[in-house]
Amino acid sequence: MALAACPECDLLLNRHQAVVGEKAHCPRCGYLLQRPTKQSVERTLALSIAGLILIFPANLLPLVGIKILGNSHDGTLWSGVFTLFSEGMWAVAILVFLSSMCFPMLNILLSLFVSFHLHFKKPSKYLSVWLRWLQHLEEWAMLEVYMLGIIVACVKLASMAEVQFGLGLYAFIALIIINGMLTSNLDGYLFWQQVRQLNKTHEN
Amino acid sequence: MKTKAGALNQGLIRCHDCGILSQLNTHSCPVCASHLHARLPHSLQRTAALVISGYTLYLPANLFPIMTVTRLGTGEPHTIVGGIFALIDSDMVPVALLVLVASILVPVIKLLGLTLLLLSVHFRLPINARFWTIIYRIIAFVGRWSMLDIFMITILVSLVNLGGVAQVIAGPAATAFASVVVLTMFAATSFDPRLIWDNPNAYD
Repeated sequence: MALAACPECDLLLNRHQAVVGEKAHCPRCGYLLQRPTKQSVERTLALSIAGLILIFPANLLPLVGIKILGNSHDGTLWSGVFTLFSEGMWAVAILVFLSSMCFPMLNILLSLFVSFHLHFKKPSKYLSVWLRWLQHLEEWAMLEVYMLGIIVACVKLASMAEVQFGLGLYAFIALIIINGMLTSNLDGYLFWQQVRQLNKTHEN
Repeated sequence: MKTKAGALNQGLIRCHDCGILSQLNTHSCPVCASHLHARLPHSLQRTAALVISGYTLYLPANLFPIMTVTRLGTGEPHTIVGGIFALIDSDMVPVALLVLVASILVPVIKLLGLTLLLLSVHFRLPINARFWTIIYRIIAFVGRWSMLDIFMITILVSLVNLGGVAQVIAGPAATAFASVVVLTMFAATSFDPRLIWDNPNAYD
């Protein structure tokens, strides 16, 4: 049992260790304090390796293509950023690049580093920095929003052109699923606990 | 009675990143070395500044064309609202509703909700703290989905790029709209929901 505070209403709490299948909510404001998952560290490691593999086809292969009057044209994640940039919309291009390519990649790399070090009990002075960045960058990786954008764009295009789905789209969908599993699997409370223990044993 | 339950009233500060409690006069977290603040620094001022910038940019985002669609030489600029009407005209009402929610309703609700939160904290209005914490949580969650329109334009711009046959060009409103989304996301993260509970006139 340890003292803790709710991050959203500052209620002082006596924390019991929650068990897998339970959810710990703040009794005053209802904030989800912790949802323990089975083998959180190992699964995070496995899922981030899977994500790292999927990132390459999702980024490099064409997502969707169109055919208008015999002209066909493919689009990748990168070509969208590049076209925006060359049209002079550099601010939007940078934002799209960060939220659809850079941050998802960073998220996966950071969860890989953290879970690797926790699983193999390798202490590192960067562990808390990685975990902190992971927490802050999470909401800026917007793959699932991009997917919705693809759907709306396809609906708009369907009336004027023939839309074809590329191989990259399947990798992209798989990446979104892996990313979602990664987010729901990562038990922040447990990770910080383990980082704390690992660094403490390392110091002694 | 309820204000006594806060960790700050017991002389404890929660680390924003790792959640460990420290004594009131500690400056950096003993576990993750990040700076400790009882509440997010200048939360109200920062959020207010970001919300006001958000309101200001919301006007050009809706008044200027967000993209220009050229087909066989004749082009017509679309605003965000115009794009929604175009979808309704082509009998795609569900998708039109999706775009309406993501790019019109969500930014407005976010800006208005944050304004009300700021006013209630600043003027210590007697509000239901639990209810407004939930409102805050919704605001923080839905923010990223507004990027839908930006991603859709990115895809259209890169795909429909066939010179004279058909071309989509992003308009100035895209930059303004992307700024609104980013500003409101920053506004939501810089608002400290614990301030709702610090208000002595609030009840739960």
